[in-house]
Amino acid sequence: MTDASRPAVQLLAVSKHFPDSVAPAVEHLTLAVPRGAVVALIGPSGCGKTTSLRLINRLIDPTSGHVEVDGRDTRQLDPIALRLGIGYVIQAVGLFPHRTIAQNIAVVPRALGWDRGRTRRRVSELAELVGLEQEQLGRFPDELSGGQQQRVGVARALAADPPILLMDEPFGAVDPVVRARLQQELLELQARVHKTIVLVTHDLDEALTVADRVALLDRGGRLAQYAEPDELLRAPAEEFVTEFLGPDRSLRRLALLTVDALQLRRGAAVAVGTSTHDARALLARDGGDWIGVLDDERFLGWVRGTALAGEGSVTEQGLEAPAALVGPRSTLRAAMDRIMTARTATAVVVDEGRFLGIVTLEDIRRALAERAG
Amino acid sequence: MQLELAQAALPRDITLAEWLLDPTSWTGSSGILPSLLDTLALCSAVMLAAVVLAVPSAALLAHLGRAKVLSAWLVNIGRAVPTFALAALLVPVSLRTGLGFEPWPIFIALTAMALPPIYLGTYTAVSGVDRAAVDAARAVGLRSREVLLRVELPLASSVILTGVRVAAVQVVATEPIRAFLGGDGLGRYVRDGLGQRNDTLLLGGAVLVAALAGAVGMVLSLLQRAIEPTGVRRLRPSVRSTRIATAASDLRTDPDTAPHASEPPGALTGAMTLTDDERD
Amino acid sequence: MSERNPLLRWDYVVAQRHTIIAAVIEHVQLTLLTVVLGLAVAGVLAAVALRWGRARPTIGAATAALYTIPSVAFFGLLVPSTGLTRTTALIPLVAYTLVVLVNAILDGLDQVPPAVDEAAEAIGLSPLRRLLGVRLPLAVPVIVSGLRVATVTTVGLVTLAAIVGQGGLGRLILDGLRRAFWTPLTIGALLSILLALVLDAAFVLLERRIAPWSVRRPASRAGAA
Repeated sequence: MTDASRPAVQLLAVSKHFPDSVAPAVEHLTLAVPRGAVVALIGPSGCGKTTSLRLINRLIDPTSGHVEVDGRDTRQLDPIALRLGIGYVIQAVGLFPHRTIAQNIAVVPRALGWDRGRTRRRVSELAELVGLEQEQLGRFPDELSGGQQQRVGVARALAADPPILLMDEPFGAVDPVVRARLQQELLELQARVHKTIVLVTHDLDEALTVADRVALLDRGGRLAQYAEPDELLRAPAEEFVTEFLGPDRSLRRLALLTVDALQLRRGAAVAVGTSTHDARALLARDGGDWIGVLDDERFLGWVRGTALAGEGSVTEQGLEAPAALVGPRSTLRAAMDRIMTARTATAVVVDEGRFLGIVTLEDIRRALAERAG
Repeated sequence: MQLELAQAALPRDITLAEWLLDPTSWTGSSGILPSLLDTLALCSAVMLAAVVLAVPSAALLAHLGRAKVLSAWLVNIGRAVPTFALAALLVPVSLRTGLGFEPWPIFIALTAMALPPIYLGTYTAVSGVDRAAVDAARAVGLRSREVLLRVELPLASSVILTGVRVAAVQVVATEPIRAFLGGDGLGRYVRDGLGQRNDTLLLGGAVLVAALAGAVGMVLSLLQRAIEPTGVRRLRPSVRSTRIATAASDLRTDPDTAPHASEPPGALTGAMTLTDDERD
Repeated sequence: MSERNPLLRWDYVVAQRHTIIAAVIEHVQLTLLTVVLGLAVAGVLAAVALRWGRARPTIGAATAALYTIPSVAFFGLLVPSTGLTRTTALIPLVAYTLVVLVNAILDGLDQVPPAVDEAAEAIGLSPLRRLLGVRLPLAVPVIVSGLRVATVTTVGLVTLAAIVGQGGLGRLILDGLRRAFWTPLTIGALLSILLALVLDAAFVLLERRIAPWSVRRPASRAGAA
C-alpha cells in the first residue's frame, strides 16, 4: 500500500516562527526521512530540533512550508488521527500515573477502538518485545525504575504498531549506564520491527550509535548537514559541523567502524606441522618477530621467530596465547583498546573460533585515512 | 434564668439610610459606636492571645524541626471544630465557674479559631526559610537562639504576618455570632432585626458587619505592606489570603520530612493540602 | 439549680431522641446538599476559568470575596428577600464552599505533571479525552482534599444557619441558649463537633484509598522526576 521508495516523513521548506520570539525556531527546513531508517535530529539548544519533531505529528503547525507523512500533506489530516498513527516517546516518559502499566500501553489501542482481547494480546506481546515482566503489567508506573518506565514508554508508542516512531530525547532522563543499555535495546528492537524512527537528542554519541542518518541543525533551525554518521565525522560540511563534532572526531569514527570493514590480512601465520624452514622464510618476508600458528582454521597462539631455529616443524608446544582478540563486529575503537591494553602490536580477529586475520594499529590508522576520501 | 439583653428598638417604618444617618443610632448604650468598639476590643484581645500562644510555640518548634505531624493534627482538628458549637458548649461551663455569660465562651472559641492559621503560617514560614541562609548564619557562629531571632524570624515575618492577617479577618467576620450567644457587639442588630422582624435593622446590621470585616481586611493588608521591610516583601509568596491553607503542604514537602513527604496525601494532613506542588 | 439543669440530662435526651435524630439528619442533609451544590457550581466556574483563562483571576477574586462576607451578615442580608427558608441557608453555605472547591479543582488540574499531559497529546488523545481520562482523574486527590475542607467547614456553618431557622443541630443549641436549658445546647454542640470530626476522619480514609497509583516508594521518585 505504501511506496517503499517514497520517504516516510518529509519536511518541505518548513519554517516555524513563534509569536513571542523574533528569531525563527525552524528556518526553511527540508528533510526526508527514508522508510525504515533511524534519523537523529541533533544540534545545540535552540536549534529547533524538538520543534521539528513536533511539526511532524502536528503538535505544532508550520508557519510556512509543509510536512508530508507517507506522501500526504499533514494539514489535510485530522491531527488526532495522525497522532494515533504515529508512536511518540518523550523524555520525561509521561506515563499516566493513575493507570497500570498494561493500561498505559493500551491507551492508543483503546482510543482506536480495539476490543479487549486484541488489546490484551497486544499488550502482553509488547511487554515481551521491550523486555518487561508480565507481572509488572499490573503495577503502577511509580513502582518501576526509570529504565523500566522508559521501556513502557516505548511499548506505549509501539502499541498500535505505527509505521513511524517519534522520540524526543527518549533516554535523557536515565543515568548513562541505563541509557547505553536502552540504546542497545532500541537497536535490537529496530532490527525486529523496522520502524521509521525520528529521534531528537543532544547526545552526539547517542546520535552516532543509534541513527542511520544524522541531521545536524544549527541555531534557528538551519540544517547544517544531513548524512550518515561516518560521513558526518569524515567529511564535515562546514565549520559549524566541525566545531559541533569536537576535536575527537577520529576517535568517534573508530567507534562507528567495525573490524570486518577492514581488508583483513592473514599476516604471518602457518599451520601446525609446517617446517620451521618455511615458517622462518614467511616471517622474514613479513618482517615481524612473531608468527601465528593455526590448526586448520583455529588460531592456536603465537610463536617467537627466535624459537624457530634449527630443522623440524612448528608444533603446538610453547605457544603464547593471543593477548588481544577481537571479533568481526568489534569496533575499531575496541580493537585499538585491546591492542593498547595488551601492550601488543597485533590483535587477532576471530569469528566463533575461526581465524579471520589480524589487525594492527597501522591498519586502523590507514582505514581512517582511506575513508577520509 | 433568662437572658437579659438590651434590645435595640427601632420603629419599623424607618429606612436604612435614616437609621444610619441618625446620630442617635450611633451613640447610647446600644448604639453603633459602642457596639463597634465592643467588637473591636474583643477581636483585639482574641488576636493578642492567639498571637502570643501561637507564634512563639510554632516558631520554636519549627526552628527545632519538631512536632510536624502533631502540628498538622492539631491544626486540622482546630479547623474542624465548629466555632459556634464550641462557644455554645462553653456558655454553661463559664456560667457555672462564675465567669458569667460573656465574653469568655466567645473569646475562647474565637481564639481557638484564630490559632490554626497563625500557628500554621508561622510554622511553615520558619521551616521554609532558605536553608542556605540558616547554614550561613550557623557558619558565621550565631547561636541557635540567634539564628531563630535574627535570621529565621525576620525572613519568615512576611508569611507570619499573612497568617495573622487571615486569622484577624476571620475573627472579625465570626465575632458577630456573639450576639446569638448572649453577648452584644456589632452582631446585635442582625439578631434584633431577626427577632423583631425588622428588615431595616437586619439589613443595616448585616451591612455594618460586612463593612467592618471588609475594612479590617483592607487596613490590615495596607498595614502589612507598610511595616514589611522591602527586602522581605519581595519574599512574600503570592498566596491569596484564603489560601493560606496551601502553605501547609510545605509541612509535608519540607526536605527534612522526606519520610513523611512520601505519605499518602492526607494521611494526616490532607485537609491542609489544597494544592500540592511537590514533585520537582 | 444545677441539679435541675445539669450540662446533660439523660432522661431529656432519651425523651427527645426523635427530635435529636431528626436534627442530626437535617444537619447532614444540609451539609451534603451544600457540598454537592458547591461542587456543581465550582465545576462550572472552573470550566469557565479553564476555557477562558482571562476569567480565572476574576473568578478567584470573586469567590475569595464571597468567603470574607461574615456569616451573620450573609444570612441576615438574605432574610428580607428569601425569608427564613432553606434557600436562605443554602445560598451563603454554597457560596462559602466555592473558594475552596474552585481552587481545588484548578490546582488539582494544574499539578498534573506537564509531561503526562504532553504525552497524552502527543500520542493522539483528543482534548476532551485528555481532560476526562487523564487530567481529571489525576486531580481527584486534590479535589477530595478540597471537599474535605469544604465539608468540615460547612458542618460548622450549618450550625449557624439556625439563626435563620435552619440548620439541624444549631437549632438545638439556640433553643438551649434561649431557654438557658443546657441539655439541648450541650447535645447540639457536642454532636455538631462530633459530626465535623467524623466527616473529617471519613475523608482521611477516603483520601488514603483514592489514589492507589501513588505508591510510596522513595526510590522510584527520582526515576519519575
